[in-house]
Amino acid sequence: MTGPPTRHRIAGLLGVYAGLGAVTACALFPILWALSGSLKRQAEISQPMLLPAHPQWSNYVEVFARMPFWRMLFNTILYAGCVTAGQVFFCSLAGYAFARLPFTGRDTLFVLYLATLMVPLTVTVIPQFILMRVFGWTDTMWAMIIPGLLGSAFGTYLMRQFFATLPIDLEEAAILDGCSPWAIYWRILLPHAKPAVMVLAVLTWINVWNDFLWPLLMIQRKGIATLTLGLVWMQGEYVAEWPVLMAASMLMLAPLVVIYAIAQRAFVSGIAATGFGGR
Amino acid sequence: MALVTFDSVTRHYPGADRPALDALDLAVTDGEFMVLVGPSGCGKTTTLRMLAGLEPVDAGQIYIGDHDVTAADPGHRDIAMVFQNYALYPHMTVAQNMGFALKVAKTPKAEIRARVAEAAQLLGLAELLGRKPKDLSGGERQRVAMGRAIVRRPQVFLMDEPLSNLDAMLRVQTRNQIAELQRRLEITTVYVTHDQVEAMTMGDRVAVLRDGVLQQCAAPRELYRTPANVFVAGFIGSPAMNLFTVPVVDGAASLGGYHLGVPREISSAATHLVVGIRPEHLQIADRGIGVEVDFVEELGADTYLYGTTVDPQTSQSVVARVPGNTEVRRGARLSLGFDVTALHFFGSDGARLG
Amino acid sequence: MNPTRRRARAGRWFIAPNLAAVAVFMAFPLAFSLYMSFQRWDLFTPPRFVGATNYRDLFTGDPLFGIAVRNTTVFTLGTVVPTVLISLAVAGLLNRKIKGIGLFRAIAFLPLAVSSVVIAVVWQFVFNTDSGLLNIMLSWFGIAPVPWLTEPHWAMVSLCLVSIWKSVPFATVILLAAMQGVPDSLHEAARIDGAGEVRRFMSITVPMIRGAVWFVVVISVINAFQAFDLVYVLTGSSGGPETGTYVLAIMLFQQAFAFLDFGYASALAWVMFAVLLALTVVQLRLSRRNAVNQ
Repeated sequence: MTGPPTRHRIAGLLGVYAGLGAVTACALFPILWALSGSLKRQAEISQPMLLPAHPQWSNYVEVFARMPFWRMLFNTILYAGCVTAGQVFFCSLAGYAFARLPFTGRDTLFVLYLATLMVPLTVTVIPQFILMRVFGWTDTMWAMIIPGLLGSAFGTYLMRQFFATLPIDLEEAAILDGCSPWAIYWRILLPHAKPAVMVLAVLTWINVWNDFLWPLLMIQRKGIATLTLGLVWMQGEYVAEWPVLMAASMLMLAPLVVIYAIAQRAFVSGIAATGFGGR
Repeated sequence: MALVTFDSVTRHYPGADRPALDALDLAVTDGEFMVLVGPSGCGKTTTLRMLAGLEPVDAGQIYIGDHDVTAADPGHRDIAMVFQNYALYPHMTVAQNMGFALKVAKTPKAEIRARVAEAAQLLGLAELLGRKPKDLSGGERQRVAMGRAIVRRPQVFLMDEPLSNLDAMLRVQTRNQIAELQRRLEITTVYVTHDQVEAMTMGDRVAVLRDGVLQQCAAPRELYRTPANVFVAGFIGSPAMNLFTVPVVDGAASLGGYHLGVPREISSAATHLVVGIRPEHLQIADRGIGVEVDFVEELGADTYLYGTTVDPQTSQSVVARVPGNTEVRRGARLSLGFDVTALHFFGSDGARLG
Repeated sequence: MNPTRRRARAGRWFIAPNLAAVAVFMAFPLAFSLYMSFQRWDLFTPPRFVGATNYRDLFTGDPLFGIAVRNTTVFTLGTVVPTVLISLAVAGLLNRKIKGIGLFRAIAFLPLAVSSVVIAVVWQFVFNTDSGLLNIMLSWFGIAPVPWLTEPHWAMVSLCLVSIWKSVPFATVILLAAMQGVPDSLHEAARIDGAGEVRRFMSITVPMIRGAVWFVVVISVINAFQAFDLVYVLTGSSGGPETGTYVLAIMLFQQAFAFLDFGYASALAWVMFAVLLALTVVQLRLSRRNAVNQ
């Protein structure tokens, strides 16, 4: 660009901003519509105003009355938290092993790991369901936590790729000092792995938080239900009571928007780097 | 008639202490090969990019021919540029790379083919037209970058250190080819380099820049013989000119115990002088600047002596070039004589005196 | 014990928990589901070996399978094609350094964090025949209300629209990252060659990110093929109305957890796996032929 903007350039810039405005409008309008719906009375919902004359915050209160929201929030945080912590720990440990430790069959095993990434959810979900029945974990917290706790092939793949890019001198100095592999992992490599760990943590958290099929299959009791399940139950019970449903949706959206606002960089770069997420 | 004119052109990056380019006044005549040279950060690349339209101009005007192009789009300036890393389009063949600009200008296909073939012939690329950049060597890619510029028959060629990615031998070869090509095509060229050897061998005129300010713009010979200031004196020529800071006492200056002949009008005006003399103008003599040799570099045809002046107050480094068969050893003390006409005098502000 | 052996032993211990999880929850289910596809089993009575009957019934005897295949194909095409085109344009818009671009990007990517469930519930409200936003806006132009979710064909359209809305941010993230990898000097050279913005986008940017575009296509196809959450919550567990949104994943769910026909459902799952694998291989081949090595 040279010098002061010409008329041509200003028109172009306006066009770009108009386009960007259209994009953001498309991205936001369903959410804004839901937000405005959550503040209306049942009779008002078909009126196109964005903010009703008398915002019905009572709709939000209704949500808590009809659904054990705090309990479900707690459950969801518990499951997401446990699985995320477990994934980060066990996948980074295994990732380090695959990247740097010389055990027999390492490379073949890793190829097999990669192969499992190709397997669609639909194939494994039925046997996983049966497995849970066999272990007696259906309708318990264990079914929500244990399967993901020890990590996954994807997480290990992510961490392994990352560890492979770290300079080998880091470890060699520690080996010369007589550090055990565990000490090398815990004291030296893990602190350097913050970016990859962030990405894995955010991706895992959001995936567990938003998971629907698995809670749908595993959970019957309200006491251990997740937010996604709660919303769908509400949808079924209170059909067409849009204001309250929208209020519930907004409540469910809020924590994620906060997480997104905080960890947006990590989340987006994680998706860009691995192509996972967005399910 | 000047083809490219910089009129008080300034570029100031936001947040920087000083302008990247400060009120540059420069005129390039039609058909001239103008070289912009200087250390990194001197503003030479910024100047080129402003001429190309890739950097905004904060103050001043740039003219190509009669047109004020200061605010014009890069595509509307009738220029072509050879980038340092060539910037070839990886997904297009050599022929497509070279013809792209013409295609954008909606030139008829037959004409595109003809002009591409012509340029390819000129640069020895005829067999490579169907290949993609990844299948070419560094030198070949460089030629394609040149071909892309030539095909356009622009008013001005811009070249941004096009030789810096080539190995030494190829660099010398290509340097000559570029100079030859420019002479043949007679297209005004603005060429940026950090290598003063390239500048001296290729340019009709050379503009030396430092910290955003033009130091001197002249033909290579003039730069060498009459540098306008201390910086140019020390930048042009390798090994660099010896520059001695000498106090003037009672209208006389001495160095290494030797009296320097300083013209009266200069010695009367200053208390300190910077005296310059090139290594090749020093010879071992019976009387001269007292020097103790620290290091001897024998290059066969020449020998370079590196030493320090023998001075009661301050010793300064000296480099002298002597014939290759001279026998000198480390630690030797000798006198370096010279012709007084070979001396350059600079004031304490660095500017040339006399 | 020498250091190498010690490290090897540590390696085995380090991977052990993770390997156990992958083996138990990934590898074993994979094998077991294949085994199940040759059985007849409803979880209460013992499984009965029936050979390839499940597969045969699927392809010859079950009209629902044909419907599901057709719907899934329509849905996949109706999602992936618009997603790729729209996200190319959006990424192109977002790929610049103007003021406020960070905010625009953050908003454009927001749907990434939102679960399919919330999206579906919210869009149900948007699509509502009487009080939904779309029909309200249409009425401003004098257009009669559209039965977005109550008429089978429109339901599929609605499903595609929501799916596109959800997939575009994801695709845009990937395409934008790829666009940002295109060296500035190429754009500068093109500008000097006289190429305007649109020309540069079509002739330089898009060809340079061909790899990323194919990647987006492959991932989008895989995701669309298996879409479940969105369909279930938007149009219900039976793929209504009247099988209008009856896709393969819904059929799988129905067969396994409504009809408790685990063998049959497993066979369906493996058919889906095989089709996905074939589709992915074909797409990878195509992308390699068109690949640009840089």
